[in-house]
Amino acid sequence: MINIKNVPNKNFFSTFVFLILLSSCSSMNVTEESVYDGGIQTVEASVKDNISVNYETKAILANATVYFEFDSFKLSSKSIQTLRSAVTAMKENSSIKITISGHADERGTREYNLALGQRRAESVRDYLAVNGVNKSRVLVKSYGEERLIAEGSDESSHSKNRRAEIN
Amino acid sequence: MKIFLSLLFFSQLIFSELVLEITKGSEDPYSIALIEFSGSKKITNEINSIINADLIRTGEFKIFRESQLLSTPTNEEDIKFEDFKLLGIDFIITGSLINEDKFNVSASYQVFNVQKETKIRTSKVFGIPNKLRQLAHYISDGIYEEISGLKGVASTKLLYVTENINDDKTIFKLVVADADGSNEQTLLKSSEPIISPSWSPDSKQVAYVSFETGIAKVFIQKIATGKREMVLENSSQISSPSWSPNGKFLSLTLYQDGNAEIYILNLKNQNLTRLTNHYAIDTESSWSPNGSKIMFTSGRSGSPQLYEINLRKFSSKPKRITFDGNYNAKGSYLSSGEGIVFVHRAEKNFQIALKYTNESFIRPLTNSKLDESPSISPNGNVIIYAVTEDGMSMLSGVTLSGAKFRLPARTGEVREPSWSGFLR
Repeated sequence: MINIKNVPNKNFFSTFVFLILLSSCSSMNVTEESVYDGGIQTVEASVKDNISVNYETKAILANATVYFEFDSFKLSSKSIQTLRSAVTAMKENSSIKITISGHADERGTREYNLALGQRRAESVRDYLAVNGVNKSRVLVKSYGEERLIAEGSDESSHSKNRRAEIN
Repeated sequence: MKIFLSLLFFSQLIFSELVLEITKGSEDPYSIALIEFSGSKKITNEINSIINADLIRTGEFKIFRESQLLSTPTNEEDIKFEDFKLLGIDFIITGSLINEDKFNVSASYQVFNVQKETKIRTSKVFGIPNKLRQLAHYISDGIYEEISGLKGVASTKLLYVTENINDDKTIFKLVVADADGSNEQTLLKSSEPIISPSWSPDSKQVAYVSFETGIAKVFIQKIATGKREMVLENSSQISSPSWSPNGKFLSLTLYQDGNAEIYILNLKNQNLTRLTNHYAIDTESSWSPNGSKIMFTSGRSGSPQLYEINLRKFSSKPKRITFDGNYNAKGSYLSSGEGIVFVHRAEKNFQIALKYTNESFIRPLTNSKLDESPSISPNGNVIIYAVTEDGMSMLSGVTLSGAKFRLPARTGEVREPSWSGFLR
């Protein structure tokens, strides 16, 4: 006999499940079970950007955005043109620290795009490093496809989203 | 032939619309007569419509409701099997509320085999008044199980991420809902993105990636208490968590080597074992059902493809397992171990595809422009995934026999579904 009279009608798991499988005759299933459904606790993330760099107002001098082809993290010649001025700004203002964030377009899987965004940001950091900007002045991170700047699903939107931003 | 079925069902306080688009159900569906449950209409109306929707969603039934039947017996003695044989019906379902007071709502149901003219199942489900939907899902699962031989998934849960804009602020939520998309409850609310949610094998905890600290970090959260902790506190990005089938390990993508590499974390002693070592991207790991293999996405061939590592062999080399096209990613194993489901790029479209291990070709399961994040039901028969259309994303399901359904439309974006284990 199953007595569930005292099951509290509250928001937590009634943690018991009865599943009694009796075969009263060879061809019939007889079952009894109690509904199990869990309570859920909601939490809120306290968002703090605790690992971003301390910005110098001059850091704006190094601000730049470069763009990439689909599934690629290779710098184009146009991107290199853009990065040259960032290198100059970094060299002229030795106190500047920067964050490079890599991004992808909405196509493809989210985790692969997160990794791709990281590679794009690293391509930029590596270019800066080769040109004399110490890696310790650069924080690299990826947002994958989580921060699109163009919402459309056409190639012109996609190409704006496949980017690395220095700021 | 396309059959569009839509039905409205009443859900506690709100009306939600479930659109079922059965493009190709099972080739040989079971014909069943679903006799309305007897008892107070206020309760049975809801139970009847939930059971009907649950069974339609499996794609394996042709359901006859009362208006299509020659007779509608409410108890065993009244059944005239001839009336059902004439309509080609295989099974009859009857049921009734057996107890209903302030604390209890219980129901019993029976399944009859028409050809054999016998009762093949009689069951009781004990529930509580504010969990009426669960009671109905239990009944649906019992019916499905009795007829198909597979465990039902109506009583399981989905985990997914929503994104909404309120007063110019973007709010991301990690949400748990019933397998039919109703009964949504929020696990985590954040102003920063949340991605890659997944269930622990016992379905009591979830792992996910949150950007709340400024970069991608993996967290584990207990569902019942909301207690959460960051996995591996270091300064680099961590992502793509996947639980081993025994719940003891978490595979992760770590960026500490300057590139995405897959590691296995022992959750008990925090030991890390590196699994991949390549200058290309390696990510999106997932475990085979018996825990002996890990599949992952790698860019080592020049485009994303799926690879597999045998964990039981010493220093085993990753073996490439997809060769069709230039984009195959985010794979997961069928619970039978007979194949894999993954995201495949066909021409310009991203689709969900299935490949059986003993076949050399892949089978596309979906055909819209941008389908992502497939997750397989615990009985291995249904795949839930995210569809993006006109900038909106929502959840859809497809069964291995090809039946498709869509979860209720809602405002904002819904993505990255992950199917729980069995809870019943």
